[in-house]
Order: sequence, then structure tokens, then C-alpha cells
Amino acid sequence: MEERLKLLSRAMQAVLLAIALAGFLTDNLTWVPAAVVSLIITEIPSILRRDLKLVLPVELNFWIVLALFLHVFGGISGFYDNVPGWDHVTHALSSSLIAALGFILVLSVDQYVKAIYLPRRFLGVFIAMFTMAMGVLWELMEFSIDTWTGSHMQYSLDDSMLDLFFDGMAGIAVAMVGAHYLSHTTRDEFLENMGVDKAKEKIVQIVEKRKDK
Amino acid sequence: MDSAGHEPTRRKGIRGLLTARVLEAELSWISSLVLFFSTVYAALNFDILWVAFGITALSLSVLPVVATKDPFKALPWEMTLLLAAPILLHISAGSERLNENVAWWRSLTSLAFAFSLATIGFLLTVELQIFTSIRMNRPFAIFFVVMFTLAVAGFWGIGEFIGDKVWGTDYLGSNYDVMMNFMWTTVGGIAMGIVYYLYLKATPKRRRERLSFMHMWEEASWKKG
Repeated sequence: MEERLKLLSRAMQAVLLAIALAGFLTDNLTWVPAAVVSLIITEIPSILRRDLKLVLPVELNFWIVLALFLHVFGGISGFYDNVPGWDHVTHALSSSLIAALGFILVLSVDQYVKAIYLPRRFLGVFIAMFTMAMGVLWELMEFSIDTWTGSHMQYSLDDSMLDLFFDGMAGIAVAMVGAHYLSHTTRDEFLENMGVDKAKEKIVQIVEKRKDK
Repeated sequence: MDSAGHEPTRRKGIRGLLTARVLEAELSWISSLVLFFSTVYAALNFDILWVAFGITALSLSVLPVVATKDPFKALPWEMTLLLAAPILLHISAGSERLNENVAWWRSLTSLAFAFSLATIGFLLTVELQIFTSIRMNRPFAIFFVVMFTLAVAGFWGIGEFIGDKVWGTDYLGSNYDVMMNFMWTTVGGIAMGIVYYLYLKATPKRRRERLSFMHMWEEASWKKG
């Protein structure tokens, strides 16, 4: 299973690279920046693993690649305009991603900041709200880019609100999965498997090195 | 109150009663009453979202009083005022007319709404520490306040959207209106995050002692375990 997910991720990265190259060669530059940026983002987990020894779960890696791939692929193939609901699928995917990353982040905060304690249920509520807040900021970003550059990222009111709706649903889904997950795994185990403790030490080392200079 | 019969002490008592302490508590209670009646009005109109808002705000403002059994432990009046403002603006017909005729009135109501949401978020951070095992520190609490404001605005928007679709109303307006609303919510949320950060620091010592429950997440002595 894990090997297959890794293989699939690689395949999607290859397609992203192909899209970037093809776009450049044929002078269709609209989606080239998005493809390149997506490629760079999909490489971030590998960089984290190399430099900080932080190991994100394979499923999460796959999720990251999938979300970015569907976004760029939907753009280049015209699916955003032609396939109804494509927009909402990518929205739900990317918000669930944000929710998962937020979950890891807030768990780490709970673990390593002495003055903070967040029970399991509160973590669920927190993740749902965090995702929704990010969704609102995202829509605002789309709106301001539309206003400044005259692009059409937002189609209509219904569209923006449905985006938000799917953001919220994805956030609630991840919150429930996360809360369920924590009911049979301790936080220590979860963070240890990812190597968050080692990553934290590495970061402390790096910061101290900077200070010495 | 307790020294009936003794004329001089009683007069002194009355004078003692007319202090900032009483005035503040009174102001707070009056705002709470406004909030209460606005909520009842909203309930009579089946205005579900605003009823939910009113009930949440009311319970948060009454909880400390109930828990301490001290009517003077009412929330600081400026907070109850912020809580009552948006629902009052929502139900008043005058505000509705201004909404249509004055360009910036909608922004103002959005901002008032954001202030009240941030206040609810702030009260949550404080009261969650009092009544549950949740512990936050200052930066996290501020982050929570801002995030809470944005998130509730988002869920609220979805609620209004669904309401508009089901009952054929037009609360949301155009996409532009909604986005401007979100923009003002973001501005208001961040501003209030900063305000509450400074607010606790700037509260005079005497007032701080009186409203000691407001300073829950200012206490650094708390340790996990």
C-alpha cells in the first residue's frame, strides 16, 4: 500500500513536470507558474526529511501531491470550467490538507509548550474552526486578486459560498478523524512516529548556530 | 446594605454604593438586558442564527456571575456593550434603512459583528480555563480569538447562504457584499486580538482584582501535570 502511494505520488509529480515543460515549450504560460510552484511544494516533505528528520505519514504526502495535482491538472485541462463541482473537489481536498497540517501543528504546540493543554474534543473543534478561518482567508485572497488583476477566480456568490461549505465539511471531517485517531493513539506516539521531537531538536540546534554567528 | 438603622453608616454605605464598581456592574447588566430582549425578539422572528448568537453571548456573560454568585462579577461593561451592539443593529429597522442608503453602514455593522465575535472568542478563552481543563497561554489565546472570529464569520455566511436558499431571503447580498463583510471581519478580528492583548495589561490594578477571572490566561504560574 505504502509503496503504491509513493509510486502514484511520483507519477503525479512527473505529470506536473510534463505540464510545466509542455506549457513552456508551446508558449502556454498560464499554468506554468502553478505547476512549478506545486512541484516545489511537493518536494518540501522530502526536504523536511533530509534536513530535519521529520517524517510525514505517507498518506499525508500522497494527499499533498494529489491536491496540487488535481488543481493544476484541472486548470490545464479546462476541468475547472467544464466539469461541474471540480472547484469544490479541489477545495475540499486542499482544506482537508490544511486541516491535517493544522492538526499536526497544534498537537506539537500542545506537546511542547508547557503552559498549553488542549483536550481531545477541543482539538477537534479547534481544527474545524482553523480550517474554516483559512477558507475565509482563501476566499478573501481570491477576491482581492480578482479585484486587482481583473481575473476570474470567483465565479459567483453561490460558488464562493459552496467553496466555503466544502472547506467547512472537510475541516469537520478531518477534525473527527483526528479526534478518533487520538482516542486510540497517544500524542507521544503520534508525534514520535513522525520524528517531531528530533525535528524540534534540529531546529533548536539551527537557531543556536545562527545565534553563535 | 447591611447596616440598616445606623444613619451615618448608612449614608456612608449609599455613597459607597455609588462607586465606579456599581456603575460598571449596572452598565453591564443593562447591556445584558438589551442582549436578552434582542434575543427574545430574534426568537419571535425565527431568526435562528441570531438566536444562537444571543444565547451564546448571554450564557458567556452570565456564567461568571452564576459561578461566583456575585452580581458584581458581571463582565466589564465595555464587553457586554460590544456583545449587544450587533444584534441591536440587526433588529433595528433604522439600521436596515441606513444599510440601503448609507454606503459605509454595512461595513460598520460588519465591523460591529466582528468585534462581538472576537469578544465571544476572548470570553471563551477565559471561561474555558475557569470551567474546563483547557489551558492556553497569551499568544495562543490571541491566535484563538482571531481564528475564532474568522471561522464563525465563515460558518455564519454558510448559514445565511442556506437560509437564503431555503426561505428565498436575501441576507447575503452580492458576492462583493459578502467579501467586503469578510474583509471587515478580518480587520476587526485582528484589531480586537491586539486590543485584548493590550487590554489585560492596561487594566488598572484595582479593577483587575475585582474582575480577577478576566486574567486567567495571564497567569504564567500554571504548569501542566
